[in-house]
Amino acid sequence: MIEFYTDNAQRFIDGTLVTVRLALLSFALSVVIGVVIASCRVSPVGPLQRFASGYVSLFRNLPLLIIFFLALFGLGDLGFVYGGFATAAVALGMYTGAYMAEVIRSGINSVSSGQAEAGRAIGLGFIALLSTIVIPQAVRTVIAPIGNLFIANFKNTAVALTITVTDLTFVSRQLINQTAETWLSLFGAAAIYTVILLFVGWGFRALEARYAIKR
Amino acid sequence: MSSVLVEELGPRGRARVRAVTIVTLVLAAGAIAFVIWKLQSAGQLGWRLWEPFTVGENLKFLLGGLVNTIKAAAVAMVFSIAVGFLFALGRLSRNMVVRGLCVAYVEFFRSIPLLLAIFASFFGLLAVGFDVGPFTSLVIALVAYNSAVLSEIFRAGIKSLDKGQTEAAQAIGMPYWPMMRIVILPQAVRRMIPAIVAQLATLSKDVSLGFVISYVEVVSKGTGFSNFSAAGNLQSYVVVGVIYFILVYLLAKLANYLDERQTKSPVTAAIVEGGDPDAANIDTEIDLA
Repeated sequence: MIEFYTDNAQRFIDGTLVTVRLALLSFALSVVIGVVIASCRVSPVGPLQRFASGYVSLFRNLPLLIIFFLALFGLGDLGFVYGGFATAAVALGMYTGAYMAEVIRSGINSVSSGQAEAGRAIGLGFIALLSTIVIPQAVRTVIAPIGNLFIANFKNTAVALTITVTDLTFVSRQLINQTAETWLSLFGAAAIYTVILLFVGWGFRALEARYAIKR
Repeated sequence: MSSVLVEELGPRGRARVRAVTIVTLVLAAGAIAFVIWKLQSAGQLGWRLWEPFTVGENLKFLLGGLVNTIKAAAVAMVFSIAVGFLFALGRLSRNMVVRGLCVAYVEFFRSIPLLLAIFASFFGLLAVGFDVGPFTSLVIALVAYNSAVLSEIFRAGIKSLDKGQTEAAQAIGMPYWPMMRIVILPQAVRRMIPAIVAQLATLSKDVSLGFVISYVEVVSKGTGFSNFSAAGNLQSYVVVGVIYFILVYLLAKLANYLDERQTKSPVTAAIVEGGDPDAANIDTEIDLA
């Protein structure tokens, strides 16, 4: 049993690295998308609001698998051809970005309106108000939901194996085929996911304890 | 305005908003034109490629997949509720061993990808001699996974009740199970219904992952399209996406409606006010797993 893991250690490590890279890249993208979409959604401009809520509704009501397939077969025609990993990162980032936008928006709405009024009273414009007063406070209230999103995003990287990304779940699936050690292959991957996400969970809880605003 | 950020605009503000609106519309029109132009020049918009989806027989074929999707989602949901409920009670139990086991179960299934669970219940069960087929495998994986999520929802729902409810039941000498059945659950369940419906929406999205163990639902039906008709992959997945969107959208709307009706109702508002403020607001929106 130990031999199985020492023999295949390199493959598990490779798979884990792919998963971690994909998770970090797509999460970074989702933060950017989330901020942009949330800003559109709270802006006073009608078409931007509608675009933002359409985006959120579209990506939240489609299964991730479909988004991957649409990205795989559609993005190429739009002039975006960078292989499975980049496509997965973009698709996953756009998917998580929709949830991120909702989290950020709820954070923005949790900032008391007196803050925004005070900002306006000293003459801040919309952008300045958002970036210096509201968002710094909003971020602190959404640490826990962002942590949940990070974990969900991390787990969702597994779906990328359907578009040829060789992530940890893919490695486990491949080892099942090649070694017939079904449960050992599954258990190895499950253990790695659990340990990583345990630490991530601790990290976010520590951040929350340090920075979150208790209301 | 729904947001705290914008107050009533003056004439200059309105002019600026109008200018930004026009710029946005122009940019949006440009983006749409670009996408259409690119897809057109790649030949993806040809009627020949879309025409198969107007044929009744083909649509019936696709909707047959939808029936399987709903079937798996419904069966998985029923079992998830039952199992999730047991684990929620386990986590609230006074026995430390029971509590520990339930925490471990919930935490484990919340930290592995659903896809891995699906592989485990398909290949793993096959390896120990149970050939249960893709439907049962998918349902087992979904139940294991969603019962962990639901048990958290249930726990929050039970904990959100005012402590006075439990205390009152105990004060009149009610044993544990009658207290649960008569006092706690009727209130808690009512409050959890929107969250449960929202989870059902998530679950029906997750059924699409049955694709990897060749459970025949909408996605795998869509995959077959390019083989026997003129339709391409992109067209098939757009149509499958539309079908899925409608299903999940309706469920999500229903969850929202139930949630709003509940928050508006003066009775629940009063109960929620008195309960644990952290647990009262079961956040159904954020969990995307």
